[in-house]
Amino acid sequence: MVTAATTQQQRSVEVTVITRKQRSLWGDAMYRLIRNRAALVGLVVIAIAGLIAIFAPLIAPYDPLELHGSDGLMEPVWTKFFGSQFTNPAYFFGSDALGRDILSRLMYSSRVSLIIGLVPVSIVLAIGLTVGMLAGYVGGAVDDFLMRVTDVVYAFPDLLFVIIIVATLRGTALGDAYDGLLVIFVGIAVVNWVGVARLVRGQVLAVKNREFVEAARAVGAGPGRIMSRHIFPNILAPIIVTVAFAIPGAMLTESVLSFLGIGIRPPTPTWGVMINDGFLVFSTTPWPVLLPSLCISIVLLAFTFVGDGLRDALDPRSKM
Amino acid sequence: MLRYVIRRLLLIIPTMFFVALITFTLAHAAPGSPFDRNSNRPLSQATIDRINRYYEVDKPIPEQFVAYMGNLIRGDLGLSFTRQRPVVEIIGQGIGTTFQLGIGALLFALAFSIPLGIISALKQNTLLDYSSMLLATIGTTIPSFVIAIFLISIFGVGLHLLPFVGWDSWQHMVMPIFVLGLGAGAFLTRITRASMLEAIRQDYVRTARSKGLRERSVIVGHALKNALIPVATIIGPATAGLITGSFIIETLFNVPGMGRLYVISILQRDYPTIMGTTLLYAFLIMIANLTVDILYGVLDPRIKVR
Repeated sequence: MVTAATTQQQRSVEVTVITRKQRSLWGDAMYRLIRNRAALVGLVVIAIAGLIAIFAPLIAPYDPLELHGSDGLMEPVWTKFFGSQFTNPAYFFGSDALGRDILSRLMYSSRVSLIIGLVPVSIVLAIGLTVGMLAGYVGGAVDDFLMRVTDVVYAFPDLLFVIIIVATLRGTALGDAYDGLLVIFVGIAVVNWVGVARLVRGQVLAVKNREFVEAARAVGAGPGRIMSRHIFPNILAPIIVTVAFAIPGAMLTESVLSFLGIGIRPPTPTWGVMINDGFLVFSTTPWPVLLPSLCISIVLLAFTFVGDGLRDALDPRSKM
Repeated sequence: MLRYVIRRLLLIIPTMFFVALITFTLAHAAPGSPFDRNSNRPLSQATIDRINRYYEVDKPIPEQFVAYMGNLIRGDLGLSFTRQRPVVEIIGQGIGTTFQLGIGALLFALAFSIPLGIISALKQNTLLDYSSMLLATIGTTIPSFVIAIFLISIFGVGLHLLPFVGWDSWQHMVMPIFVLGLGAGAFLTRITRASMLEAIRQDYVRTARSKGLRERSVIVGHALKNALIPVATIIGPATAGLITGSFIIETLFNVPGMGRLYVISILQRDYPTIMGTTLLYAFLIMIANLTVDILYGVLDPRIKVR
């Protein structure tokens, strides 16, 4: 009886071993990310925002720049039930002081935010990875240079540095290109590549003397191959997490700059520009300020949830 | 230790030099002079030359930079382009207000973040933990100016409870300090919780428990003491965050401090004021970071400062 039970157990163990699908490290991380409810909600919100950004010209009810002079400062339709006399079903979220449709402007704003989230972060990643890998693996002059630059950049508060770059380049060809978008790319990239480079350098230093790198070197792999095929995959996890947080960081920078009046040029709609515009009529009606504030809050929260989820999924030890 | 402090203090000099160089180059690379904007009343060439000579912007840029650095060492930051007064004087007027705001916000942040972080860690995975973590996530994620807007529309415009323009009474200070402290405090809450969670799983805490200490002295005497070390190191970056946050908050609430001065001088292209405030900001941040690094060495004997 006893032996029969044991063999039974052994068999079931074998069966589960066989049937359990092999999961890779990345598959595991993906599974953990999807299981995380907050991260999943974040992914869905980002997907929706992305779709709105892509299809804005098709789904927006009006041109975001179109003025409807006589319909200025309409309040959102639901305020009618709270006694507002300034609603018009034609403007679901109301209109701003110049009679521009707020819903359409909110939709178009998501385009700028997503571009700001993607382009400068890609530049930052490209520069940071290259310099960080070289500084960590090769060392020498690149490393010294990186460390000196780091000292200076770390003494500037990030936002202050971006503001100086953006503000002083206003009025030049670079500053005016694409309604001020290009100079914001430059500002964010110049300030943020150092952080990524330092992170990559530290990770490379931690990994480069491990056995698997030595083994690769022993069988004759060149430095390029070691860096790209052996070191890079092993330092990818913290880089992904950093990028996940850099995207909302860049969006925040744009909105702060636009809010202060030195970011994207009005009338191009971005959430920051809309808040800045709406502030002038804030005591008359708060909606032109509140709605873009809500949008930016939701999108930033979504990215943060995904970032947190990614960190937990990729590095289960550092639960924060 | 002393050698380390001296070396770090000396390192401030080249760093400040490069900060000055970068800001100066950027400011002077920008086209146009701050005086050529009144195009409806064109100035004669002689007047423009005289203005340029008065503000010493008629010389070549490297020469101007050398002159600027020379004056800087003597504590002279030049004349403001728009206010016709020395930059030192203008900054001096605003700095007190900014310090009130910054220190108030830092104290507020510490007062709520550390207890909240500790309690969340001790009650991990309870409703209390989840709600304080959600609060911390919201506080770190939602931009301060957006939170300020929500607060102004509720307490300022809606309920008329608090004034939101100026810096005259304690009522004026409530919202700016709250908003500025919230972001830093939310971040500190997360750090405190994480580091407390790590500390209560250490062997020395188990030892303290097994030798029969009361729970209270285990937590306060053994876990907390060690858990707060990483928290102390975050106060440096948090201070930097408060400094950058201050110019958004000051602009929004119309607080007459250095931050609002900075934003105004950026909008007016008042380069001497921009230079002066930037240098001061950079200096404050370096001092904050240095203080924290020294503190780290003092608090944690395992860390050997070189």
